[in-house]
Amino acid sequence: MLSASASLQSTWIALADPTRRSILERLSRGEARVTEIASPYSMSLNAVSKHIRVLERARLIRRRRAGREHFLSFNPDPLTSAASWIEEQRSLWMSRLDALDALLQAQNAAAAKTPKRKDKSR
Amino acid sequence: MNPPPQKATVQVTRRFSASAERVFDAWLDPSTAGKWLFATPTGKMVKVKIDARVGGSYLIVEQRDGVDVEHVGEYLEIDRPRRLVFTLKVPKYSQENTKLTIEIRALDSGCELTLTHEGVLPDYIASTTSGWNMILDHLAGTL
Repeated sequence: MLSASASLQSTWIALADPTRRSILERLSRGEARVTEIASPYSMSLNAVSKHIRVLERARLIRRRRAGREHFLSFNPDPLTSAASWIEEQRSLWMSRLDALDALLQAQNAAAAKTPKRKDKSR
Repeated sequence: MNPPPQKATVQVTRRFSASAERVFDAWLDPSTAGKWLFATPTGKMVKVKIDARVGGSYLIVEQRDGVDVEHVGEYLEIDRPRRLVFTLKVPKYSQENTKLTIEIRALDSGCELTLTHEGVLPDYIASTTSGWNMILDHLAGTL
């Protein structure tokens, strides 16, 4: 089982490649066979299979076997956790900037109480 | 095969009633930066060294639970009060350098700051996030 950070890492790696993103886009419209996925790309089935394996490792796609056929489908869960992680980072920085704003306003208030020097820069 | 580490970018925008110059200086003035940038409620700021020039470095050390946590980096661009670019590394958690770009746009009143944090690594963040949230809640409450 992957740790939370390792699985985020594998999500970034999977999404870093444009071919893999377009495979996901195709699968987000519905389940497809491996051969159907490969057909729009000017690369070998083997090369496409490698991309598919990366996506499977990142749990972004699932594979279902029906007889000889392999069907692939999109699993959005890792994207959701990646998005929520990004959102956490955003709110973290936002809180830091809130703290900066509060500090600057506190300095204004302190300066108003003890006007040691007037800043006439305006 | 060992793929290169993939990194995320985080961007936030915020308006300030203070001038662009004051907001800009808050990142580089040691006495101001030490109060908010890497300060935590239970920690004790032990060192704030800022060599505010391109190629200069900074070292901000806070003692948390008896352990010194260093924040180090180097200034890549300093264009007061519009743009500040620097690296950030917290060796206690990760040897990776991340890059911060601060862009400040003056408004009729106050300014708008856009922060871009590039190369944020999940494992680095995982070990620091909870601490940060606590710190910031505390700061917001005391200021």
